[in-house]
Amino acid sequence: MLMEAIGFYAMAMFLVFFAFKTISDPNPIHCALYLSLTMIGLAGVFYQLDAQFIAGVQMIVYAGAVMVLFVMVLMLFDLKTELRAFSRGLLSGFLKIFSAAILAGFALGAATNSIGIVDEQPPKVMSANITRDLSILLYTKYLYAFEALGILLLVVAVGAVAVSRIKGGSHARD
Amino acid sequence: MGSDVFEITVNFVKMVAIFLMMVQLVPLLVWVERRGSAYIQNRFGPNRVGPLGLTQLLADAVKFITKEEFSPAAGHWFLFYAAPVIALIPATLAFGAIPLSAPINVGSFEMLGHTWGPYIFKFQSFDMGSIGIVFVLAVSSLAAYSLLLAGYGSANKYALYGALRASAQTISYELAMGLSLVGILLLFNTFSFSEIVAVQNGPLSFYFFGQVVTFSGIPNWGIFYQPLGALILMAAMFAETNRLPFDLPEAEGELVAGYHTEYGGIKMNMFYIGEYGHMLVASGLMVTFFFGGYTLYPLLTPDTVAAWFAKLGGTEASILTALVLHVVFLAKVLFFLWLFIWVRWTLPRFRYDQLMDLGWKTMLPWALGNTIITALVIFVMRTKW
Amino acid sequence: MSQLVPVIVLSIFVVIFGIIIELVALLCSTAGKKSATKLESYECGLPSDTSGTTRIPIKFYLTAILFILFDIEIIFMYPWALTYGDFISSGLGLYILGSMGFFLLVFIFGLFWEVKSKALEWE
Repeated sequence: MLMEAIGFYAMAMFLVFFAFKTISDPNPIHCALYLSLTMIGLAGVFYQLDAQFIAGVQMIVYAGAVMVLFVMVLMLFDLKTELRAFSRGLLSGFLKIFSAAILAGFALGAATNSIGIVDEQPPKVMSANITRDLSILLYTKYLYAFEALGILLLVVAVGAVAVSRIKGGSHARD
Repeated sequence: MGSDVFEITVNFVKMVAIFLMMVQLVPLLVWVERRGSAYIQNRFGPNRVGPLGLTQLLADAVKFITKEEFSPAAGHWFLFYAAPVIALIPATLAFGAIPLSAPINVGSFEMLGHTWGPYIFKFQSFDMGSIGIVFVLAVSSLAAYSLLLAGYGSANKYALYGALRASAQTISYELAMGLSLVGILLLFNTFSFSEIVAVQNGPLSFYFFGQVVTFSGIPNWGIFYQPLGALILMAAMFAETNRLPFDLPEAEGELVAGYHTEYGGIKMNMFYIGEYGHMLVASGLMVTFFFGGYTLYPLLTPDTVAAWFAKLGGTEASILTALVLHVVFLAKVLFFLWLFIWVRWTLPRFRYDQLMDLGWKTMLPWALGNTIITALVIFVMRTKW
Repeated sequence: MSQLVPVIVLSIFVVIFGIIIELVALLCSTAGKKSATKLESYECGLPSDTSGTTRIPIKFYLTAILFILFDIEIIFMYPWALTYGDFISSGLGLYILGSMGFFLLVFIFGLFWEVKSKALEWE
């Protein structure tokens, strides 16, 4: 029980620290790398919530594919390091305070709703192999979402290739 | 990692020992490669330093450590120094999840006044119970980062392009690698490595139009069911580890050693430890999925070997059983490592566009076809008509 | 959680091992003279001609995006492979084959279209 709590808080602090570094670092490639570490931390949190398959998939797809794309593209563009990480100005200051207030509201709501969440609870009746249950659910109850996702991925593929061939671009088809 | 001090200590030492085994295999493999390639090319390999040239690698290690340390001035020093260390992590974590032998059952014993209870020590760094293969794929997909960071931290245009091409190659072949395993998963219906080895620990038995057919002399290995899947996995792992014939990122004539142009000394060696570590993981996966893991059904299974040592009883019997089965595993893995080395010195290198075409237009469709045909055959054979 | 602790401990150990090796190399290295030539990037011995912007090949971006898409589709095949035997033995074999068959049809069409439209031509 204590191990669970320590593990959760350690993972959560790791995650929040790297998420904060993502937005506060002026060098874009550093930001992308911190985001990768955040994704890995997120996979760890999923694992602790007994969603082991999702943790593995999160690492394969997010940390191993999406973030590699980000880092690759950022390295292709020779972006200069920004002079400052945060912008200045009246409107931008207002937006910052507004979003900080909303975040504080979320945090307070989450904290109030989770009083007693780490107390001793009757052990949930969890099946032996949660991955198997997830798979069965995916192909029976959520079949429509699954098929729709396939078609959505096809649309993204066509769209990505089409965008790369916009008229006037370097790969435009004549 | 364990419930009391003894178990935690033993598990930690076991983890470190398996990691060091992977690191120590590198000098041995490089020696085998240099002597083996020399034999293939009809010349002598290293044969002056020590008997049969065995301490050549020790001399090389000393040379590497004492090389001059510098980093390119315009480069990014943290990423430059961090990239070789990051190159070690995916191979180590992936190798830790593969079972190297049968679990060791230690009975209760007395030491230092306490009774240390019965333990079961699995012969692997950690046992990712229900997501074995998904975990291995997850950490293998992190291998692209060390390439990119090495190329970026070098502040060298050519190193950067080499790194981008190497990572594009790596991610293209990850698709074929992931897809080639779906066939064997359809058959065995489990992600966990221990269960896959346990299923192969029996006679060849499969469904034939609803009836179960068993051949008792032959083990139930995956290679008999999925030869094409095994071939695709092997070829995809060649590309993942940047070994010839897919080693254009390291080719001399094209990009002057690609992403590790600016590296010298022990940092470059750490990239090679990572590469050989990935070779080890690839061989381990091939053996576990297609060749029965640490068992050899009619002759050397956990039960038959335990029967040899039944007289000793208890802990000693369990340890000796695990050691014998570990030798079986190592023999199979060494065969595949030799296959890696043999292919490297036999085939010529692919051109980059041939390489990418092979990955996307040849391996991916073949792997898909393999999956579809496997699914159809299983459906036809298992349904009770 | 109990299975995650060895993973974290092993990664930290590997990082420390790497750092120690690099420190040992730093300590044992024979120092040469620092010269401007040595610190420059290596380009086959010719002086570097790093001009401003170079054309960025868009093939890397397309390869990575298509990799993400096909990776997600392969991820969906893993739970299918896990429960295929269960579905067949409970009589729903044709159903699971059909549903995944439609998904695979979309996947194959995507791959076929992408090859045919020469999206991934490398010179």
